[in-house]
Amino acid sequence: MSHSGNPDSPSSPAKERLVFKRRGVQIFGLGWQDVIRIFFGGNASLAIIILILICFFLAKEAFLFFPDHHRDLNSYRQSGQEFVGFMGEEVTAHTNLYSSANIAYFAEVNRTSRVEDTILRSYRSVLANVENRSSKTWGRLEREIDALEEVEDDLSDLDPETEEDVAEIASLTEEKRRLEKEIPPLREKLKREVNTILSWDEIWDLGVGAEEPPADSIPGIREAVLFEAFPDAEEEHPFIEKTKQISKEKKAAAAAELAEFKETIKGMQAVVRPLKDLERELKEPALENKKEITSFSTAPERRDAWLKGAEATRDPEEKARMLARAEEVVIKEPDYAAINQVFYDAITRHASIAAPLEVEMKTLFDKLPTPAGVVTKSAKENLKRAGVFYDRFQESMASNRKKIREWSHDHPVTVVESVSAFLVGKNWTTNSSWHDFYGLLPLFTGSLLISIIALTVSVPFSIAAAIYVNQLSSFREQSFIKPAIEFIGAIPSVVLGFFGILVFGEALRNISQVEWLQWFPGFPMAERLTILNAGLLLAFMAVPTIFTLTEDALNNVPQAFTENSLAMGATKLQTVFRVVVPTAVSGVIAAVLLGFGRIIGETMVVLLVAGNKIKIPDFTEGLGVVTQPAHTMTGIIAQELGEVDSGSLHWRALFMVGMVLFVISLLVNFAAQRVLKKFQKI
Amino acid sequence: MNKTLALLTAASLFAGANAEDKIVIKGSDTLGAKMVPQLAEAYKEAGNEVSFEIAAEGSSTAFTHLQASPADIGMSSRNIKDSETEAFTAKGMEIKGWTAAYDMIGVIVNEKNGVEELTTEQIEGIFTGDITDWSEVGGDAGPISVYTRNTSSGTYKSFQEMAMNKRDYGSDTQKMAGNTQIADEVSKNGNGIGYVGLAYTEADGIKAVEVDGVELKSKNAKTYPIARSLHYYTVKGKLSEAATKFLAWATTDDKAKEIVERVGFIPAE
Repeated sequence: MSHSGNPDSPSSPAKERLVFKRRGVQIFGLGWQDVIRIFFGGNASLAIIILILICFFLAKEAFLFFPDHHRDLNSYRQSGQEFVGFMGEEVTAHTNLYSSANIAYFAEVNRTSRVEDTILRSYRSVLANVENRSSKTWGRLEREIDALEEVEDDLSDLDPETEEDVAEIASLTEEKRRLEKEIPPLREKLKREVNTILSWDEIWDLGVGAEEPPADSIPGIREAVLFEAFPDAEEEHPFIEKTKQISKEKKAAAAAELAEFKETIKGMQAVVRPLKDLERELKEPALENKKEITSFSTAPERRDAWLKGAEATRDPEEKARMLARAEEVVIKEPDYAAINQVFYDAITRHASIAAPLEVEMKTLFDKLPTPAGVVTKSAKENLKRAGVFYDRFQESMASNRKKIREWSHDHPVTVVESVSAFLVGKNWTTNSSWHDFYGLLPLFTGSLLISIIALTVSVPFSIAAAIYVNQLSSFREQSFIKPAIEFIGAIPSVVLGFFGILVFGEALRNISQVEWLQWFPGFPMAERLTILNAGLLLAFMAVPTIFTLTEDALNNVPQAFTENSLAMGATKLQTVFRVVVPTAVSGVIAAVLLGFGRIIGETMVVLLVAGNKIKIPDFTEGLGVVTQPAHTMTGIIAQELGEVDSGSLHWRALFMVGMVLFVISLLVNFAAQRVLKKFQKI
Repeated sequence: MNKTLALLTAASLFAGANAEDKIVIKGSDTLGAKMVPQLAEAYKEAGNEVSFEIAAEGSSTAFTHLQASPADIGMSSRNIKDSETEAFTAKGMEIKGWTAAYDMIGVIVNEKNGVEELTTEQIEGIFTGDITDWSEVGGDAGPISVYTRNTSSGTYKSFQEMAMNKRDYGSDTQKMAGNTQIADEVSKNGNGIGYVGLAYTEADGIKAVEVDGVELKSKNAKTYPIARSLHYYTVKGKLSEAATKFLAWATTDDKAKEIVERVGFIPAE
């Protein structure tokens, strides 16, 4: 202490007086203690107020969706679009059938030229590999050749007689000379490069699982690739030309044999033409009607805009003009019966088209070869599928015929219909030229499937890790593993997403091509961005949450339990699995639930990695469904919210999706709390 | 609606200031939404004392308007119809077209894909989901993976209009955030197909297919099917001096070309 310090010792009477002094600095009659208390309390209540405001805003925007959506569905019906949609369904059912038969046909035809096609495929693959390896020289050569062509083009356009062109001709000729001088050595260089590259083994790696070309075709492929390294040759190397020719001839021969098959398929395409034409023809009046209805519903707004504009302007002329425009806006309800007459008129036409279509499709379908009557696996599968699609086609024709007959434009859409169109709607189509649909189901199934995968993978791992760290590991291991796992939580999800696209997706696909893994459903995968990829990455992200909470739950098991168990002669493992884990089970369940909450709300990873296909995954593939792409509830909000008009139906639909997510999270948290409460009673 | 209103108001204000140097441009929304207003803005910035009145209400209005006041410029995203030309002839006027810019979208497949060419009908089938296997369009068998832009993209819509008969995308299509993402996925997926702007077709691992036998190259902009030329139309001999000057600037000046490219079109020539 220096001389300027407080000379009072703790026992001095002055200090004692201070300790008991009640009134220190005061603000508005409040002491320091009170101010701090109010400050903290205020912060807490501010947070709660903001939360309530957010909830209110979200709920308001979301629930306004339902009346808007209801109106939209009504206008879909009143415009006759719904009516045309029924025919669209029939056409789609037919297209599915036709397409499967068509694929089967081509599988049969292409079977004969398999060797040639393999050679050609290998050639393209090797060529692409070589081109990538020597892309610098190759690209430069191509650019220079293009440039030369362009210069020659320009030169031929110019007229040496005109004075203005003379200077340009000179500079272009100079350029031409330079290019002509540069190209030959570049060509030599590329040739040398390609020659070297061709001797590398990796060039001949055609990808995992790809069929190898016959050995005697290898020299030909090599020749052809070298030949391509002279990009000025317009035609292809004779070897490739010849192979193509043989392939073509073989296909033609096969096609001749399968002429009847082809005829059947062509017949299928022809018989649906009248239905397609009718649909296309009716689409126009339906769109016109839609326009009219929309224009009617926005008319008051438009008029108000003109009136407001007139009020704001000072120029009397302008004012008069704007008022006149406002007058011009007609608010007249369309005559729904009249604008829909064209559809009622079409009912008989449709019936006269649909009946023969069904009959002819039956004869044509019976003419298709049976799965047993074709050779290739793909043809068998596709013909089997065609069988399924034929049944669906018949169902679709029957049900839609009924719908078309009974359709009425003024039959109001019920509330149940409009709510279920959102909650269990199978179609999410936005920014359409026809009609936007907001069906949650594809997004919901996507989110759910991804979460299920993430949980199935992460739960065993994180629980096992938590048990090990908490019960079995040494202190040194513990002090390493725990922070390491918790660190996962610090990785930004967008970084994980990039990793998922660039590294993990590619690796997964390569693994899926490996021969001895083909028993796994859905392998080999075509896509990099799949449910599986997203699910596995999310599993990784959920590990820290589940691990930490499980570990806490295990920690909360009273020490006495363990000690008693050990004292009774149980081994360490018996104690862990018979005493500690069962006691902590409700805490573990809560951990899993919170992990689920973490997963379903994750946005960035699924947006980047899930593949964004807005369709209910095809469950007929069994477990292989996980190798398909999907879209998610979080992903759709992130993807579409940025560009929609605020207050539009689309915007409200996205808010409603957010609301569904919010409710799911709330329920999950609520369930976790309940489970935890039960746990605390022990 | 509001934008048009604002433009009209702005234009009328200018009109009061300098009546003789007003350029009236009417017609296509494609041109009038971004390109022409930006060109007009740049033209004024370059020191030209003119005012503009731009109204974008559809290509057809270009021709009806030009018949009434032949001193102005019309914008159209399609070629003039015969019936429209006739209407001008009947009034003793001759109409002249200027190419304003080109709009081209490339359809890309993996470079190892054997398919080199697709017809517009096949493209419509593939993107609407009617065609699902490469063998149906002359390739090796394999399910087609379709990558498209997401619904908020302008290309999403214009591709739908130009190549898909305005039909909806099939539900199997995967929505990617941008041109680069589409090119990336197609380059890694032997069965992939997608569409990207002209500038993105040079990426590694992909190639642009010929559409109806026409290669995707800027020099083919006039014949490539998923492209359209955007036009200015004027009445021969009746164009005002200020408008003539502006048209010459908008179709040849480097700054104008830069703007055309920036809004996603290919400059004329």
